[in-house]
Amino acid sequence: MHLNAFLPPARDARKKRSLPRRLLKMLGPTWHASPLRRAVQAVAFVLFMVLFFWVLWPYGARPNPEQVGPASHYADELAAREWIEAEAFLALDPLVSISTAIAARAWVWSLGWAAALLAVSIVFPRGFCGYLCPLGTLIDLVDWSLGKRVKRWRITGGGWWVHLRYYLLATVLVASACGVVLSGFVAAIPVLTRGLVFLIAPLQVGGFRGWHQVPPLGMGHYISIAMFLAVLGLGLLRPRFWCRYVCPTGAVFSLANGLRATHRKVEGACIECGRCAEICPFDAVRADFTTRPAACAFCQTCGGACPAGAIRFVGRWNRAEGNSATLAVAEIPLARRGFLAASLGAVAAVSGSNLVLGAGSSEAFVPVRPPGSVPEPEFLRLCVRCGECFKACPNNVLQPMGFEQGWEGLWTPYVAASWSGCEASCANCGQVCPTGAIRAIPLDEKRVARIGLAVVDKRTCLPYAGREACQLCVDECARAGYHAVEFEMVGVQVDKNGQPVENTGFLAPVVLADRCVGCGLCQTRCDEINVRAKGLLDEVAVRIVAGAGKEDRLAEGSYLELRQAERKKKEEEQRKLKKQSGAEDSYLPDFLK
Amino acid sequence: MVAPALISHGWAASAPAKPKTGAKRAASTTAQPKRVLRTRAEVDALINKVGRTAPDWWNSVPLEYPKTLDLSWSKADKEWNNQKNVGQYLWDIINPNPGRWKQGAKLLHHLLVVNKDDPQKVLQIMDALARLYYGLLEDYPRAAFWWRKVNAGRKMPYGSNAIQLAECYWKLGNKAMAVEILNWIGPDYTRNGNVIKLWSDMGDVQKALALAEARAREGMTDSAYLAAGDVCRLAGRYPQALAYYQKVLSEEPSNALKGDIPRNRDRARASIEAIRVFDTLDLARVADGTYKSNSLGYAGQLYVSVTVKSGRIESVEVTQHQEKQFYSSLTDTPSQIIAKQSVKGIDVTSGATITSEAIINATAKALAGGMK
Repeated sequence: MHLNAFLPPARDARKKRSLPRRLLKMLGPTWHASPLRRAVQAVAFVLFMVLFFWVLWPYGARPNPEQVGPASHYADELAAREWIEAEAFLALDPLVSISTAIAARAWVWSLGWAAALLAVSIVFPRGFCGYLCPLGTLIDLVDWSLGKRVKRWRITGGGWWVHLRYYLLATVLVASACGVVLSGFVAAIPVLTRGLVFLIAPLQVGGFRGWHQVPPLGMGHYISIAMFLAVLGLGLLRPRFWCRYVCPTGAVFSLANGLRATHRKVEGACIECGRCAEICPFDAVRADFTTRPAACAFCQTCGGACPAGAIRFVGRWNRAEGNSATLAVAEIPLARRGFLAASLGAVAAVSGSNLVLGAGSSEAFVPVRPPGSVPEPEFLRLCVRCGECFKACPNNVLQPMGFEQGWEGLWTPYVAASWSGCEASCANCGQVCPTGAIRAIPLDEKRVARIGLAVVDKRTCLPYAGREACQLCVDECARAGYHAVEFEMVGVQVDKNGQPVENTGFLAPVVLADRCVGCGLCQTRCDEINVRAKGLLDEVAVRIVAGAGKEDRLAEGSYLELRQAERKKKEEEQRKLKKQSGAEDSYLPDFLK
Repeated sequence: MVAPALISHGWAASAPAKPKTGAKRAASTTAQPKRVLRTRAEVDALINKVGRTAPDWWNSVPLEYPKTLDLSWSKADKEWNNQKNVGQYLWDIINPNPGRWKQGAKLLHHLLVVNKDDPQKVLQIMDALARLYYGLLEDYPRAAFWWRKVNAGRKMPYGSNAIQLAECYWKLGNKAMAVEILNWIGPDYTRNGNVIKLWSDMGDVQKALALAEARAREGMTDSAYLAAGDVCRLAGRYPQALAYYQKVLSEEPSNALKGDIPRNRDRARASIEAIRVFDTLDLARVADGTYKSNSLGYAGQLYVSVTVKSGRIESVEVTQHQEKQFYSSLTDTPSQIIAKQSVKGIDVTSGATITSEAIINATAKALAGGMK
């Protein structure tokens, strides 16, 4: 039994090649050697890009003027486009789900996907890296376009760093066990999605929507962009350097390769030409042409490149002649010191973050989180900083944090309400969050989930300050359907008789705490017009504030039921009050009939 | 000067500060619902029937008010406190918020019961109640019912509510009943020219203008000519309206409420601009060329460039904007303007109303700038 998926070399090298072979040759030697693998890679890469740049492009949404009840166009648009889960590739990254599940001590829905993928890996060991991983394919493209031309940073030989990915994996897992998720910083798919969201998404928005719509970049952006470029730039040292030596997601699959049912095998016909070692992108061929099973990604390029047809991919139980996995040459061993350093790193990261988490006091920075976010400590544990929510969010309401909350908060989403408010017709962030840091709550739940509370600054707010009439926040809140900001007459002049003088005073905004969900639309409008367009204010006069009592952060359960319970309580109180006062509310009292 | 007969006896007597609802829809034309005509007997029957029954929302609105409120509605302290004095509570909290109007009505009905032994208070409360039904809820049968109770025993309604009761009769479909009261009132000594306005609403342009001229002769030129301008504008007499509005700006009133003059002049200026930009916009009079203008959108100034060729709008282009959530408005609104060859009757884009309106306004301003 064999699992050869490569294109074997032509039987007769002297004969003219067939047309398909010639076409594949034109595409390149790796296409010719293993066309199926390259085709799968291409399809997976295109699929990833479509999911990321088209499915997560909310700007096709249009409100339906005929719709009865509150608008839902942003949510509808995503649902219509999402024929495959937009976050599918993130769900497939096993390190993401394993690390978050360990850290949160809870089942994470994407674990199922990871398990399924690892099961497939029994037959296709590390096939994710060789076939599916869009970061790997992107690195291939960079290596092909740039790496081939720039040779000055090429390195030869190895060192302790050839096992860096295992040390990183150990760091991530130890940190997870201590409740801190580091996988988002180093796991393959989050690295890619974050890189794209910070580097390419602004170009997409700027080019298709207008450059004024690209939010200003912050420190968090620069760090992530630099990291992403570094990952791609590693290819200048050696092709697929990241995948071979650094990527901890790949390390998960490499460890799983211990359970593999199939592997590469070199048979006696080998002429020791060295082409397999040369063409292998994963450094999986030893000096004696045998296989490093943990490194092999089953791409089978070597099989197609072998002029002698000596390489086969067979079941592990195949005992026929060959040298499938005998250790013949000295290899760089995994170092205990490396794991020690990894553990220390994890502990350092954990204690560093605990400082932040422990400092949840009043002076600590409290960001406004997306609707449906679980309680803050769990949120920080579950969020892998993949950036999917930023991409799915219309008008960049969600933006990445820098170091306002320390390292712990880096790249986590916060509601930048001065830039844009959270639309009542959208619950996209939760729909695309791969870990459940933002729960996938339906639209009607989202509309009652409080993420913060609008607070009016009475010293600066134009009507309160007695400067001029302004009802931007009130109008905006009514338009969004919340009706949570109402008026109060302020600064009324009184005449000699104690009567209010007509046309004196201003209508000023009052936030109704039991209706405000903290969407931030009021803040957006105040900032856009009074601060930026008219220059009347230096700082926005109504601001969303999060924190205890101002937001609902439910790890589970329904926001609607929460609201209903509150309503019932209020009605009860009213009933009591009415009983006490004995208030009679007849429309036409008897004495007037 | 305000005529003694029109001095109010209650707080809420002054016009309530009603918020503007939504953005100004300068360009849309709303069709007037067909007027129902009623005989005097029918109007009386309607007021008696509806006025005696609770409105349909009655049971769904809870009786709610601050615990600190002084239900006896005693005279206000020196210090303004809208959580204690009923008048101040109505003025500051109920009037400005449409969501609280029905609550306000409930409170006033409750106050009737609480203060039933004080006839003077009952009158004051019934007047406030009628004013709320009239000015806020636009429930004219009930407003008329309660005002009739206030004026019970009088041959003619007394006080500031007379004009408003007249308007109720007009709204309920009987002009004669309204005219009867207005004729009894005679000249317009109201602060904002309410008598003139009602004559104008009823279509009696000559009568309205005569009253306005009489008022102007008394020295209240600002409010008189403003009212006259409004009368003419409503009747479609734009040049005459412009002339009156100009008089608001140019003539110095000798007998006006000082504080009102700047506001009346601002209103006159706004009306002149609106007439110029919307009411009298005539494409045939716009010279060929490209005109630019701007208007405040959702997130800053929005600029348009409008090209006119032989009396036709050839193109409307949004050249610069700061909008983020504009949906299809940037293309849809201009193409509607071109298709209709007008800035009136354009459907605003759902979800991007403010952007659409900014495009319409800027286009109208650009075209007005090109009028010969």
